[in-house]
Amino acid sequence: MPARLEITLKPNLFDAEGAAICRKANDYFGFDLESVRTVSILTIDIDLTADQLELIRTEIFTNPVTRISSYKPLAIDFDSVLWVGYRPGVRDNPGSTATEAVEDLLRIRLKPHEAIYTSKRYCLKGGNLSFDDAGRIARELLANDIIQQYKVFSKKDWHPETGIGIIIPKVRLDHKPTVTVIPIHSDEALMRVSKERDLALNPNDVSTIRAYFLREDVLAERRAFGLSAPTDVELEYISQARSDHCNHNTFKGLFRYRDLATGKTEIVNDLFETCIEAPTLAVQKQKPWVISVLWDNAGVGRLNDDYHYVITGETHNSPSNMEAYGGAITGIVGVYRDPMGTGKGSRLIMGMYGYCAGPRDYQGGLKPHLHPKRLLDGVIEGVRDGGNKSGIPTPFGQVWFHEGYLGKCLVFVTAIGLMPSQIKGEAAEKKTTSPNDLIVMCGGRVGKDGIHGVTAASESFSADTPAGHVQIGDPYTQKKMHDFLLEARDHGLIAFITDNGGGGLSSSIGESARFSNGCVVELEKVPLKYEGLDQWEIWVSESQERMTVAIKPEHEEQFMALSKKHAVESTIIGHYTDSGKLRITYDGRTCAYVDIDLLSSQFPQWTFEAEWTPPEMRGLFEPVLAGPDDASGLLLDLFSRPNICSKEWIIRQYDHEVQGTSVIKPLVGKDRDVISDAVVIRPVLESPEGLAAAQALLPTYSQIDTYHMAACTIDEAVRRVVAVGGDPDRIGGVDNFCWPTIQYDPIDNPDGKYKAAQLVRANRALRDVCTVYEIPLLSGKDSMYIDGHLKGRYGETHKVSALPTLQFSCTSVISDITRCVTMDSKFAGDLVYVLGETRNELGASEYYEHFGYVGLRVPELRLESSMKLYRALSRAIQEDLVASCHGIYRGGLGVHLALVAMGGGLGMDIDLSLVPRVEVEENHVILYSETPGRFIVTVDPKHRLAFESIMDGFPHACVGTVSSGLDLVINGLEDEPVIQVPVSELKAAWKQPFGQLI
Amino acid sequence: MVDYFHMTRSETQNRSVHVLVLTGYGLNCDYETAYAFELAGAVSTRVHINALISGETSLKDYDILVLDGGFSWGDDHGAGVLEAVRLKSNIGEAIFQFIGEGKLILGICNGFQALVNLGFLPGFDGDYRTRHVALTFNDCGNFRDDWVPLLGNPDSSCVFTKGVGRIELPIRHGEGKFYASAEVIKRLIDNGQAVFQYATRKGEPAQGQFPFNPNGSVHDIAGICDPTGRVFGLMPHPEAFNHWTNHPDWTRMKESMKRQGQSIHPELTAGVRILKNGVDYIRENRLAV
Repeated sequence: MPARLEITLKPNLFDAEGAAICRKANDYFGFDLESVRTVSILTIDIDLTADQLELIRTEIFTNPVTRISSYKPLAIDFDSVLWVGYRPGVRDNPGSTATEAVEDLLRIRLKPHEAIYTSKRYCLKGGNLSFDDAGRIARELLANDIIQQYKVFSKKDWHPETGIGIIIPKVRLDHKPTVTVIPIHSDEALMRVSKERDLALNPNDVSTIRAYFLREDVLAERRAFGLSAPTDVELEYISQARSDHCNHNTFKGLFRYRDLATGKTEIVNDLFETCIEAPTLAVQKQKPWVISVLWDNAGVGRLNDDYHYVITGETHNSPSNMEAYGGAITGIVGVYRDPMGTGKGSRLIMGMYGYCAGPRDYQGGLKPHLHPKRLLDGVIEGVRDGGNKSGIPTPFGQVWFHEGYLGKCLVFVTAIGLMPSQIKGEAAEKKTTSPNDLIVMCGGRVGKDGIHGVTAASESFSADTPAGHVQIGDPYTQKKMHDFLLEARDHGLIAFITDNGGGGLSSSIGESARFSNGCVVELEKVPLKYEGLDQWEIWVSESQERMTVAIKPEHEEQFMALSKKHAVESTIIGHYTDSGKLRITYDGRTCAYVDIDLLSSQFPQWTFEAEWTPPEMRGLFEPVLAGPDDASGLLLDLFSRPNICSKEWIIRQYDHEVQGTSVIKPLVGKDRDVISDAVVIRPVLESPEGLAAAQALLPTYSQIDTYHMAACTIDEAVRRVVAVGGDPDRIGGVDNFCWPTIQYDPIDNPDGKYKAAQLVRANRALRDVCTVYEIPLLSGKDSMYIDGHLKGRYGETHKVSALPTLQFSCTSVISDITRCVTMDSKFAGDLVYVLGETRNELGASEYYEHFGYVGLRVPELRLESSMKLYRALSRAIQEDLVASCHGIYRGGLGVHLALVAMGGGLGMDIDLSLVPRVEVEENHVILYSETPGRFIVTVDPKHRLAFESIMDGFPHACVGTVSSGLDLVINGLEDEPVIQVPVSELKAAWKQPFGQLI
Repeated sequence: MVDYFHMTRSETQNRSVHVLVLTGYGLNCDYETAYAFELAGAVSTRVHINALISGETSLKDYDILVLDGGFSWGDDHGAGVLEAVRLKSNIGEAIFQFIGEGKLILGICNGFQALVNLGFLPGFDGDYRTRHVALTFNDCGNFRDDWVPLLGNPDSSCVFTKGVGRIELPIRHGEGKFYASAEVIKRLIDNGQAVFQYATRKGEPAQGQFPFNPNGSVHDIAGICDPTGRVFGLMPHPEAFNHWTNHPDWTRMKESMKRQGQSIHPELTAGVRILKNGVDYIRENRLAV
């Protein structure tokens, strides 16, 4: 007989969770609730005696100081009650930890059908809410019906004895696992099956697949194992591996690029090879610190003689768009498995985030699945729990608001790990599988969750996108596995390791078996969450928190003992061979038998038509705009714009100190509340080396030209790490492309050719900048299909495409952390320098956007001169000549001078006529042009000569001083007063939009 | 492990102070805690909770037990609750004995939460089993990372905070609100068991004012000890202030000292000093006798 335990805070205690719901209900819907009391519910579906139930109630689940609990519904006053619980099969993390504790305390083992399920009850008071209003809070604030179910009770439907009832969300699959053979008598027949089964096969691949399975020699080999036409296990495997998500077909495609201005057509063959791989390999030849790139789950760079760092970046857009919290936590926890699965494994030392969403206060007519406010809140919380509970600092991040992301939001997650350079005398970054090595699956179990996630990420969002791929990451299970695998690594037990992400076992085993050239997998050995999964589902399920490890047979005992000590489940599910074949069996019967190299050969290249229409031909022009009279008021208003203003509320939710490595924090300055250019950690506590990291996003420039969007984005990320003391010669990059669909279709994607050309141009910028700046791309990912189909005010449907977006991440090693600098001005009387030239480049600037303009003159990077300037600046920082250093980014000089002043809590006197510039003769252009390649530096007057001698030959000028006054004072080209405003007022304006959020 | 068999007599007398830092089940401050104790002069070892339970490692070989920070069991069902259940159900007696032998226990953040759920704190009248105080959800409604000024209690018997007055340490938690009945609070104050209070930047008690009191703790309490002063729990993280560049103002302090013709001498940070007090206590009180 299941029992239901209700637990709540004592009535006199403040219910912070309830208060947060009141706040959000007001913020989202304008409801004026008096109070919300939250009740945690455990539905205990275990055969326990009354004494046992009482023991777990008092010993585990009820803190006597703060809580009350009862197996009967708690009597709490309410006007309406909401209940929210998980749907069957959704990961219930607290349910499983409750189970662990009950087993521990009672010294019992649960039977397979027994479990504990958690849910919540909310008791709402006040606000004169109707039944429908209450339902709206449940539906639009508390529950997401993709993963949760809810009930609403008014006073009259509530029975004090039965309460919410006994709800057991157990998965019941009355299904015998079955392998299905797929007929392939024609391309059409196979395409039909692909549609029915949601395989998302590319029509171009279908004939290649058929040709393989119809080959005489293949048929003969297969017959020996009782196989003929392909099984569903095989086709699912091929479909996963051929998906754009896993195979990067778009980047490896053939582009026919036509410039409509010149009429010239060029063939661009394989963007990956020409713009990413070739430049990176060339840089690697020059820079011995580049240890391992372009083949593993993440790239590896040298930190010092004894350690390497490991970095990669991912996106998790589609799942987050549907279930923000679940998608985001799964994203961050998932990207952390990449460094864990790089080389022989690394320890996670830092995470970073980037969110692109619709305006938080969006009130337009489009109806996204989740309102941007709710979506962003969920994403923020997902990354918070994923990062904090993993014990990994998340010190750097960024947010970009734009209506284009209403169709699909972007969630970038970046992970950095650390590995010793040697493990038992072997290079840590190397790994391989050999015949007879055992295939071990470690971590979580396999369920139906996450099936077809990869193929869904390769499609744009529509009403019938399967929801099954939304999951809830479990950082707790993964943290245990992380600790275990590191110990196993240090004992030399890991021959090969990779994560189970997109495509699940099919991808991790399929890829690792290429090293030994074959494998045999016994699918029935894979531990399941519940019975009834078909073989193909076990093979491609993306259930989280799993790694695939190859171990030598002689290490089995030691590996399994360590696994047990760490309370991690590990199971041997097969072995590697050199047969040239991937063979899968279930209870001894073969259900897949294909060539291991099938996927790396024979498939046709994707092709794209690309047409570039230059901005002038698209009708873009410079607005006719003269400078403002109230320049101070304008600056204050710019500071309150969503893409400029403070996002301290997000930063403080993320642990940026754990591991004790923090050197430069995300928030710096006198009051520790101004955003740093970059962060620095000391990855090895015993050593003085630092690792600087930062990211940049400038999607708005894509409105004019994606070449300059990409160039400026990369330059910003570079300047960010240089500004805190990063070494310009040891910068590593990670590119994350998010692009709308580029395949032309006259009806569905009429501007596809233009979007394809935008992609080519952005890649060329990537190639050009990385070549000149000598930046290896340590890692990178692309996520296409950033489009959504949204209902409008009248029920009509709009396709909404995001701006082509590149997030660029930079790392740099700092040999001595004590040389790092922050961006806040330090002392009155210090000289304020501007480095780099300002040009008339207001196109797509924050300033123009404020007035609703796009303009034409997009900021352009002067490649050759910029890096030389950065090297000089770096030398000045190394020689301790710089008191503060800050890049000039979005918003231009005016915004960033003010930020330096805000950081120092000191005034500043500036003369615009002194600012180094080219063809700019208007104050507002100097103040708000977003020309890249520039810095603001403050210098102790004592160091003037030394600093200027280093800067000799580079555009630089002392433009004013840090003052002891309270105001930012800026005089114009004619020495006329332009801006005078208290720094505190600027800071207040900057904090105002999100300042009340916690 | 120390090899006592091969040690000479004088080595035994000068033997190291051994610190056991727990790992496993979602704890995550083990590396830096072990490192900071090494800076404080101890020999520290990271030990999995299950290695203690299985007997692979014995508490007997250690002088200081650290329940370090993290998200044990994902913080589900109350932070530190399930860690307390696991420790109590399996090695509760060994830990009671550890305290009884005059050794030290330090609980940081999640470890503090576990100590109060175990009942080791406040430990009134030598009762290390009854829960009198709790750490519950922050009033601000969210996890929060910030450096906070703290005020040490000069009258406390806590061995870790001897000579520690005003310092700053980082807090990083979602469930750090110290809560107890008025009588219990009074008793803690009267006994000198309220070791640290959240303070303003001027060094006065925060009096509940956010963000100085970051979580709504009653009486601004950030850390308490047992009546012997040998069991100590606190929400702030001393181990995360293991180097002067951890401090949020270090670039400002460095610039300021540079202009006065000085350089920052890498002396012990306030965080390491707290740990060193514990190490010194063992050296003076247990190894000397």
